[in-house]
Amino acid sequence: MKTDLILNETPIRTANNYNINNITLKDIDIEENVPQFKGMNIINNSSKVSVTETKKNKFLPRYFLSDELIMQSNKDCNVNLKIESNSSNNTQLFIDFEFSKENKSLVDNLDVTVSKNCKLTLILKYDSKDDSVGYHNQLLNIVGKENSNINVIILNFLNKSSNSFVTINNELRKNSKLNYTIIDLGSKNFIMNYYSNMISDYSSNTINSIYIGDNEKVIDLNYILHLRGRECNTDIDIQGALKDNSKKHFKGTIDFKKGCKKSIGNENESCLMLSDKAKSIALPMLLCSEEEVEGNHSSSSGKIDEGDLFYIMSRGFNKKEAMKLMVKAKFNKIIDKLKDENLKSLILDKIDEKLS
Amino acid sequence: MKKTKIEDINRNIYDIKNKDEYEFKIKKGLSKDIVEEISAKKNEPSWMRDFRLKALDVYNSLKLPTWGPDLSCLNMDEIATYVKPKTKLSNSWDDVDEDIKNTFDKLGIPEAEKKSLAGVGAQYDSEVVYHSMKEELKKQGVIYTDMETAVNEYPELVKKYFMKCVPVYDHKFVALHGAVWSGGSFVYVPKNVKVDIPLQSYFRLNSKEAGQFEHTLIIVEEGASLHFIEGCSAPKYNKVNLHAGCVELYVKDNAYLRYSTIENWSKNMLNLNTKKAIVGKNAKMEWVSGSFGSKISMLYPMSILDGEGAQTEYTGISFASTGQNLDNGFKVVHNAKNTSSLVNAKSISKNGGKCTYRSLVRINENAKNSKSSVSCESLMLDDISISDTIPTNDIRTDDAQFSHEAKIGKISDKTIFYLMSRGMTEEDAKAMIVRGFAYEVSKELPVEYAVEMNNLINLELEGAIG
Repeated sequence: MKTDLILNETPIRTANNYNINNITLKDIDIEENVPQFKGMNIINNSSKVSVTETKKNKFLPRYFLSDELIMQSNKDCNVNLKIESNSSNNTQLFIDFEFSKENKSLVDNLDVTVSKNCKLTLILKYDSKDDSVGYHNQLLNIVGKENSNINVIILNFLNKSSNSFVTINNELRKNSKLNYTIIDLGSKNFIMNYYSNMISDYSSNTINSIYIGDNEKVIDLNYILHLRGRECNTDIDIQGALKDNSKKHFKGTIDFKKGCKKSIGNENESCLMLSDKAKSIALPMLLCSEEEVEGNHSSSSGKIDEGDLFYIMSRGFNKKEAMKLMVKAKFNKIIDKLKDENLKSLILDKIDEKLS
Repeated sequence: MKKTKIEDINRNIYDIKNKDEYEFKIKKGLSKDIVEEISAKKNEPSWMRDFRLKALDVYNSLKLPTWGPDLSCLNMDEIATYVKPKTKLSNSWDDVDEDIKNTFDKLGIPEAEKKSLAGVGAQYDSEVVYHSMKEELKKQGVIYTDMETAVNEYPELVKKYFMKCVPVYDHKFVALHGAVWSGGSFVYVPKNVKVDIPLQSYFRLNSKEAGQFEHTLIIVEEGASLHFIEGCSAPKYNKVNLHAGCVELYVKDNAYLRYSTIENWSKNMLNLNTKKAIVGKNAKMEWVSGSFGSKISMLYPMSILDGEGAQTEYTGISFASTGQNLDNGFKVVHNAKNTSSLVNAKSISKNGGKCTYRSLVRINENAKNSKSSVSCESLMLDDISISDTIPTNDIRTDDAQFSHEAKIGKISDKTIFYLMSRGMTEEDAKAMIVRGFAYEVSKELPVEYAVEMNNLINLELEGAIG
């Protein structure tokens, strides 16, 4: 059933003519009775991490993309996994979703719990094997219990005809640490709603993300972080580049709730404009109901510095190579934080591909 | 600083209430008959009456904003949109009604006029009661008069510019303004005339359950310059009052305009004001804004940088206390090459007050080589107040530099400790830090207004700290 979707409402509305409160996508096919997805491959090297298929994950997060998508996720999901980590070592769970002509639609519902004092690195990779139009509607729910340490890496490499809709919901308990790395180098539309409920003291949530927009791609990112416990800490760093006619909407809300004394929230969004036709809108919000906190945000947008470009070209690179080098340099501070060398080179190759 | 808690701050001179006396007060509510009656009372030309009726239609067709503060306390059926004071417009204070004159005396307007202003307009409720300008400016062709006089004496200029910069379709309260506007100032500065001393208009709303809808229209011709100051206040009543003024500024090529505002409406006022400037080639528009009063304020001055090399600056501070929700900010649209904007916004929240900085920076496709830099800082003086920052940054070209930064926080303990180690009390140290925080705004004001702003800050801080 094709329908126009109004997606990704900001938690606080601003003037309608600023065109940022939500986004409308036309003619999105919300499939019913989604066929089985057979392109999933799970690599789990720990007995203390359990991955079980379930039919029970019916979950309504506080924030989500739209009624239609959440309804599909609850009713018609074709991958429904319950993941639990009871490992005190830093174990890795890799789930590879390969889209193809036979596996075009994925509605995945992942419910992840990391137990007290336990750790998990979860890597979710979404890639297209061919040019067929893919559809991805994800609901990822993560609960980090006391003293847990979680790394989540999401890699979006879907082809340029596919739609990606991602809803992330996190709940962080006392002293838990959650680090996200979100690499968006694919899809025709990438729409994401990210919510973290930092309910307990000393919890920490770091988000590092890079994106590249090309062709007619629409990127709509809605990060919402509620800091409730004492001495919570959040750090958001979003680095992106826009080519061709692509559009990016960044909405980032750090909400210091009453009681989150001595909490710190930082938000940095930076967009490199590689085309005169690209558009970048940012709404970095700081909401504050608590006195004893520190909140900072910065947002910047501009083209590649001509002087730097000239310098690199004077070292023998052509303009395109020089430009690529500079975009990669900008992204490197995020990619460098990844420990897995194979993953790093995979991402760098994809960036090369995107900028060619 | 006194440490005593004061539940409702005595705002001394601003809260002086005169008897609610008037020559005529229109019945409450909003209808075609009321709009026609206002037009008839003003003896307006038919084009203006027709304009008002069209604006009323637009008002009825538009919805309340779906964002920002809750405006459900506003009931137009309880607001009288036109109150004619019991005095005629005069260019001599001696001819102004004694009570009204005394009010402006206490606000220091006639004294400021003598000392530091080139011209003054004073509005009481819905009509301007005093307007005067120095003779030498008249000789240079400067026009500074009330809007009603301008409609009758300079109809071509008014027709050309009136509500063209801020069309009635902009939002519901602009449409309301178009239907019931009354009073305000008209300024015309001819080509290459530099008005070195500021002009000032002061708006006082005395009547309860009333609205003030003054219209300010300023045209600064090519190469000319002007500093215009706007002040406003009202005594506090228990029922809601409404201010939906409109300011339209035309800053032509190579011209310069500074528009300074000290807003100190009473805390039962809904301040839903609209201010916009169109800035020409190599022209410069500066906004300086201090927002202290009002129950609810939704005020976002806007610069449209339409000419190549146009510049704008905004320096503003909001100070919200008990029962106040000040949703203020700035909007700029870069619409030509080599334009630049610089924004410096500050806010202070205390005693349960809410400050929101809401803004828009839009750099259009044609605004090549443009630059914009935005900085906003919020200070929370206690943990029952709220401070939000909601900036929208819309960049539509690769050939522009944009940066935005914002900070929210409390007064640093280290700084207080440092000042206390120099012999200050904690309260004095905090007050000094707040004044220092506001200094970037106060230093942009003429000295009398900087003093007034510091007094307002002291008044607001009394009882809040300690």
